[in-house]
Amino acid sequence: MTRSRKTWRDLWLHRTRSLLVALAVALGLTAAGTVLNAWALVERATDEGYRASLPVSATLVLDRADPRALALAKARPDIAASRLRRSVLAAVQANGRSRNAVVIALDDFQRADIARLRAESSAWPPAGEGLWMESSSLEFSGAHVGEPVSLRLAGADTAPVDIQGLLRDVSQAPGWMENLVYLYGSEAMLTRLGAPAGFDELQVRVRDERATRAEVRASVDALRTALTQAGYTVKSVDVPEPGQHIHAAQMDSLLMTQGAFGLLALLACGFLVVNLVAAMLTGQTREIAVMKVLGGSPTQIGTMVLAQAGALGLLASAIAIPTALWLGRIYGGLKAELLNFPLDGIATPAWAVMLQLAVGLAVPLVAAALPVRAALRRPVGEALRDIGITREGQALSLKRGAVAARLVPLLGGWARPLLLSVGNAFRRRQRMLLTVLALASGGAVYLGAANLRSAVRGSVDDLFDAQRYQLQLLVAAPSPAASLEALALEVPGIAAAEAWRTLRTSLGPEPLTLLGVLPSGRLLAPRLVEGRWLGDGAIQELVVSRLLQRQQPALTVGSRHRIANRDWTVVGLVEAGPQALAYTSRANLDALAGNELATNLVLRLQRPESPVALLDAVRQLREAFAEAGMGVAASQSQAENRRVIEDHLLMVVDFLGAMGLVMISVGAMGLASTMGLAVLERRREIGVLRAIGARNGAILALVQVEGLTLVVLAWLASLPLALPISALLEVAFGRIMFAVPWRLLPSAGTALIWLGLMALISLLACALPARRALRIPAAQALAYS
Amino acid sequence: MQSPTPLIRLRGVGKSYPVAGGEFHALSNLDLDIQGGEFVAVVGPSGSGKSTLLNLLAGIDRAGSGELSVAGQDLRALPERALSRWRGKAVGVVFQFFQLLPTLTALENVMLPMDFCDQWPAAERATRALALLERLGVPDQADKFPSALSGGQQQRVALARALANAPALILADEPTGNLDSTNASGLLALLAELAREQGVTIVMVTHEAAALGQVQRSLRLRDGRLVEDRRHD
Repeated sequence: MTRSRKTWRDLWLHRTRSLLVALAVALGLTAAGTVLNAWALVERATDEGYRASLPVSATLVLDRADPRALALAKARPDIAASRLRRSVLAAVQANGRSRNAVVIALDDFQRADIARLRAESSAWPPAGEGLWMESSSLEFSGAHVGEPVSLRLAGADTAPVDIQGLLRDVSQAPGWMENLVYLYGSEAMLTRLGAPAGFDELQVRVRDERATRAEVRASVDALRTALTQAGYTVKSVDVPEPGQHIHAAQMDSLLMTQGAFGLLALLACGFLVVNLVAAMLTGQTREIAVMKVLGGSPTQIGTMVLAQAGALGLLASAIAIPTALWLGRIYGGLKAELLNFPLDGIATPAWAVMLQLAVGLAVPLVAAALPVRAALRRPVGEALRDIGITREGQALSLKRGAVAARLVPLLGGWARPLLLSVGNAFRRRQRMLLTVLALASGGAVYLGAANLRSAVRGSVDDLFDAQRYQLQLLVAAPSPAASLEALALEVPGIAAAEAWRTLRTSLGPEPLTLLGVLPSGRLLAPRLVEGRWLGDGAIQELVVSRLLQRQQPALTVGSRHRIANRDWTVVGLVEAGPQALAYTSRANLDALAGNELATNLVLRLQRPESPVALLDAVRQLREAFAEAGMGVAASQSQAENRRVIEDHLLMVVDFLGAMGLVMISVGAMGLASTMGLAVLERRREIGVLRAIGARNGAILALVQVEGLTLVVLAWLASLPLALPISALLEVAFGRIMFAVPWRLLPSAGTALIWLGLMALISLLACALPARRALRIPAAQALAYS
Repeated sequence: MQSPTPLIRLRGVGKSYPVAGGEFHALSNLDLDIQGGEFVAVVGPSGSGKSTLLNLLAGIDRAGSGELSVAGQDLRALPERALSRWRGKAVGVVFQFFQLLPTLTALENVMLPMDFCDQWPAAERATRALALLERLGVPDQADKFPSALSGGQQQRVALARALANAPALILADEPTGNLDSTNASGLLALLAELAREQGVTIVMVTHEAAALGQVQRSLRLRDGRLVEDRRHD
């Protein structure tokens, strides 16, 4: 009883320091807990949202998809469910915004056994007139439920259409993220808008929920054979990774990486707690010795001290767990939004909360264990004779004498107080090391994130530098390439135009996109990594993007492959950022198809910097193409494209930067506590300095220069530490997103900003300890025991 | 007639500390017997080995050489953990600077050794602690924290704490060194009374000449050696 009272009262007596420990642990725990909770929520949402929707196992694009094709699929024992679909590209305008859209028709919207849709408004299912919008597209589209939008299907006239309701299709990547508006309607409605009658896609779900992608592919191949034998033409087959949302793997990797940094933040808190507990024990050295004299066993005394650490862990958990639950829901919601899953009604699992509580308790206990053990092993006699910090100071004083002899002539009267402050920083070396380490590791993550940001921007720059056009048009139907280019060049403001064509084929079992471009064209110049660019007139040559090569490592420069019944040679490797494709000469694809039709048109503007010119060009191009009977299905400006790509990529980087700031905050708290303890331990010394004439400025400088010494050391340590952290981040980013060029060293500007930030942190962290030092009266300090 | 077994027995005890110039011999080849119930003062100039002797008797420091037995226990044979336990039960220590724990009240400071050693039932500890404070004349200070007590009151509480587990031996390191003369003589009287009436053995390091009037025996040390062993009537 007496022992527990002492435990609580000691905590209360040192409440500022206790609160600092609790806050440090709480901060690290909040960072790690937020990521953990977000990950747990997203996992649950994936299970309850995506997998529970019974996603499509494969989509077969046919020349026609009709009830007989459906019956053929249903007849197969390994197919559990199937449905018919048609999707048509369109342009939608609402409240002044013009967006690309996909309009989807299904044979039955109420099917519960395949890719279940969820109604998010009262009118359901989509039938008759009007369209339904996927929820994730609503804000991005500018449309409102119940109001009409202008819709133009490729090759058709613009028509007003009512948005009658909202639905959630968890199998789609979010519309705002894909820069696409998803609309759903009946087949009759689609036909009325100008789409061909009937369906052209057959979607199936295999019966075995645990089937691998290869097993699904085998089932679908059998169906494909049956369809072919029945007279259908199967144009393409798409088999996604079973049970995995299109963005789920990226999301898992992202959250895992962020979780690792959350743990690093927790580790930095651990340093701080070790520091504070060690300092707390330093203050209690004599008390511990007295308790030993009174018969206290190491276990009894150790339990008393560890109980303090445990109590701080509980307090930290009480602060961190609700905060992390709240932030985790916000952050998880953001992540779930990227996957297009709502988190409504999904609770954070109990195991996540229990884990945070266990870690919250364990961190201060583990951090306290070593200093407590050291304090308990200290002989009683030695502990009773303890008079504070002297030995380290003595060790340094000899060296300082030599340095002072050189500095005094240079710095005059400032040299000795300056050296005293610098020397003070080294007096408690273990504490100094932990303080510097906590600050430096935060700084290294901050610098690493800055390096990654710069690398990502560089990579996006590479991609867009290579694309020397400002606008891309997708025409509704393949049209003669020469006509497309000629028509575009007639539009005022267009400086150059190149028509490209795309072939979606496969390399073995893997899908492959070939982009047919003009080898000597002026609108595409990707950065060559290996080999050479496409030769003029060369046949069957491929240049692959680095991301494609990573996905299909067999595509090395010089290798030969059988694609679309032709032999191809890979002649080059280019950096194309997040694009996984192979470039070839358009002529090769023309030869394959037996025509010279194209669907893509890239355009350079005469005034590339003018948004108004861009809008004018889009409007005039649409009109010109419509007059010529070639509908524009979609238009995309490169600026918008870049913004979307950067938004996706930099969000990841920004989170890492935020994690670095959390760690820096922990480091700043560590610095504040270290300096607070330094002032406390040196009350007598400060009293002596006052007694021999030190003024407020000198005392203030004594504390602030010591703090600055520590942050300069941390800054120096963070620079080399940033190298492995940057490499780690860039490798992780490469695995999650795409490979970025390595940038391991921070720019001089970033390093200086970081130094400035550290100096500011030092000034703020030392402000309170310095104020305390100023308030120490000489007489009281000299009498202090 | 054979003399009774002494409570404290030292034979050839030595203790030295490493210093910059080599070794400092704090105690050299010390032989000493102290019987139960004796009130002994240890005197001598600074650096003579007084506090070292007291620390060895309390098991706070270990002897470098010789045999050392206190209350029937060979202190060399005890590991640190057992030494704490033994010390709590067999020895009460009074320090010059009181060393009361600042976050415990006077009563709780007295109860703490009882909590550590578990010699007294938990329900009786508060009553016993209060009785000890009463006996030492500070019962009304029981609920106050050390910072609210005068030096004399703190030292009385420290003495009550030393008596908490009813030890056979009280070791006091300059217990009057921080007290005014009135409080100092009061404390010495209390110690003498404890030895006389309860048979508690008291070994006290002191610089106070006045203390010699209260003790039964004084030991004078110089340069780590016993140079005088004198009995007082």
